[in-house]
Amino acid sequence: MEVKVKILRFNPETDKRPHYQTFRVEAEPTDRVLDLLEKIKGYQDGSLAFRRSCAHGICGSDAMRINGMNRLACKTLVKDLGKATITVEPLLGLPLIKDLIVDMEPFFEHYESVMPYLVNDEPPPLKERLQSPEERERFDDTTKCILCAACTTSCPSFWANGRYVGPAAIVNAHRFIFDSRDRAAAERLRILSDQFGVYRCHTIFNCTLACPRDIQITKAIGEVKKAIATGSLD
Amino acid sequence: MTAKLRTSWQGLRYRGGGTMIAWLLHRLGGLAMVVFVGMHVFASFLTQQFGSDVGTAMNIVYQSPYFQAPLYFLIIFHALNGLRIILLDTFPKLLEYQREVTWLQWIVFLPLYGLVVFFIIARIVSGE
Repeated sequence: MEVKVKILRFNPETDKRPHYQTFRVEAEPTDRVLDLLEKIKGYQDGSLAFRRSCAHGICGSDAMRINGMNRLACKTLVKDLGKATITVEPLLGLPLIKDLIVDMEPFFEHYESVMPYLVNDEPPPLKERLQSPEERERFDDTTKCILCAACTTSCPSFWANGRYVGPAAIVNAHRFIFDSRDRAAAERLRILSDQFGVYRCHTIFNCTLACPRDIQITKAIGEVKKAIATGSLD
Repeated sequence: MTAKLRTSWQGLRYRGGGTMIAWLLHRLGGLAMVVFVGMHVFASFLTQQFGSDVGTAMNIVYQSPYFQAPLYFLIIFHALNGLRIILLDTFPKLLEYQREVTWLQWIVFLPLYGLVVFFIIARIVSGE
């Protein structure tokens, strides 16, 4: 089957603003959008720029807007899109560098701001710091994040103000706030109760729908909001 | 600024689904209330202070069914959507069922708004 791929392109050296370019590609229904982009880059236009690495939904490099919604190109099959024309655009809310590549630096700055690492100054026990299966289960969902930015760049609050810490950073804060071995929950909650913290979330759910790992992001944000409001992690 | 405008325009085309439409309608509802209350206060001021015809004309505008039907739509939707958000924020466990809660909101909204439309039409028919 022949598929039309309409790509929002931008070359900072020659273009004043982004513009669409359509390519015709031979594809199987089971091809992924990433396969189509590889075919275009390999056989039609080598100047097309996009990120990819593992191509198996783990590295989170190839998040982009496909038919108007954030998805991973390597996890989106042609047959699931159900349209003769597939529109591919870069993520929204981050500075555009070239074609489908955006500057991820602001995203990672927000990520770092929530201390996404285990903090525990207590002397380590003889073996490991033990945790029950129930305690591990408490934050299991938010350990799945691959930092693809599909959630943060689907959020209208983030589009409106790039200083909002964003869903991905809150998810990664949640992962440690509710970890029984961690001792910096209060500090993280203080950071997230800032004016650009969790209360910028207006429960729109775009993040939950966009997450390629099916993380219940809005629920995680809701739990952090409640922890801030009640002062309790229960 | 141009990039921000482009983001806003493309953001409106983002396919976020029913919950994003609910958020947009919620924002529109807020704006509609500001416009309505603003018009009401301004019209009253003009009419009472100056006996102005402009105030009377504004009253005619916001009392017309063409103004009131969309206004009631946005206000009732805003109120119910606000209740949905309060409910979900208070009980984060319910956030897993956000789709069902959103449908529930529409199920409550539609008969309520239908009742309002019924009264508006009844008023037009009776010629009040």
